Amino acid sequence: MLPLLPGIVPFGLIAGFTPVSFGYTWIDSIMGSLLMFAGASQLAAYQLMDEGASLWVILMTVAAINLRYVLYSASIAPYLANANRTSRLAAGYGLTDQIYSVCQRDYPTHDWNLNERIAYYGGGTLVLWLLWQLCTLVGALIGQVIPVFWSLEFMIPLTFLALALNTLKTNAHRVTALTGAGVSFLGLELPYNFGLMLGGLLGILAGVLYKRFSG
Amino acid sequence: MMTDGFLIVVALAGLVTLALKCAFIEGQQYFKLPPWFTESLEFVPPAVLCALVIPGIFQGDVGLVSAFGPVAVDPKPIAACIAAITFFATKKTIPTLIIGMVSLYAIYWLQF
Repeated sequence: MLPLLPGIVPFGLIAGFTPVSFGYTWIDSIMGSLLMFAGASQLAAYQLMDEGASLWVILMTVAAINLRYVLYSASIAPYLANANRTSRLAAGYGLTDQIYSVCQRDYPTHDWNLNERIAYYGGGTLVLWLLWQLCTLVGALIGQVIPVFWSLEFMIPLTFLALALNTLKTNAHRVTALTGAGVSFLGLELPYNFGLMLGGLLGILAGVLYKRFSG
Repeated sequence: MMTDGFLIVVALAGLVTLALKCAFIEGQQYFKLPPWFTESLEFVPPAVLCALVIPGIFQGDVGLVSAFGPVAVDPKPIAACIAAITFFATKKTIPTLIIGMVSLYAIYWLQF
């Protein structure tokens, strides 16, 4: 878990100062991190709010970015199946890329009972959660004093760019990315961020079709 | 001070996120996902993230422009290309962000 922590610091700072750079308060920023606790989708929601997107576009985009949690949740679920409801809900709220990656590695290779598995999950999640909220707070407070000409809001598309390029593992993923970006570009002038939605959907379709017909 | 509209959006977005995160931890007894759905999940991040990058790069003006005025060529797309090259060369996020931002400043001030 520890080696994964430094990576969330800059991301947490960005998530913290972004709403402030868009004119919201530092408390808004904290509430965003508390209520959502999912970095990339927080940034997406903030960017879309700033662009004046409609509520359903924001929620659809957040859902799309967070769809991966359904997979994580499915792979972790058997190990936490007998936990009580409060623990399961807390585990759901606290689910992150980081805790998933350590649990899917360590649960199958250790002979832990349910309480030990919950303690492992809960301890790691608590540290990550505290660090994320702290970074958000620091980012939000820094955001209030950084002048607008620093243009720090440009770090959102740059962050998405780095996250996107990091997913290009196979040709099918590259086809997906090119289609998503291309359709989104052609659809820039469409109302209600329709180009964004269309880019996402056609990108996924292109990837699935490429994978199916290329072997 | 809190902003009502902002809070409503993040609260709803938080609920959507929680529902997805809990989907199986809570719902594994009740349903199973169809295979076509799980197959396409791996393509969601590249598709959505790339689609999301585009408006951030091609629409709107950065703070530099609102503070000091417009320049002939929008520095955002060029800075994003340089950032992409940096990522392919280093595979690291932080250098990508730093070089992207420095490029943005440089391309703006070169035209100012």
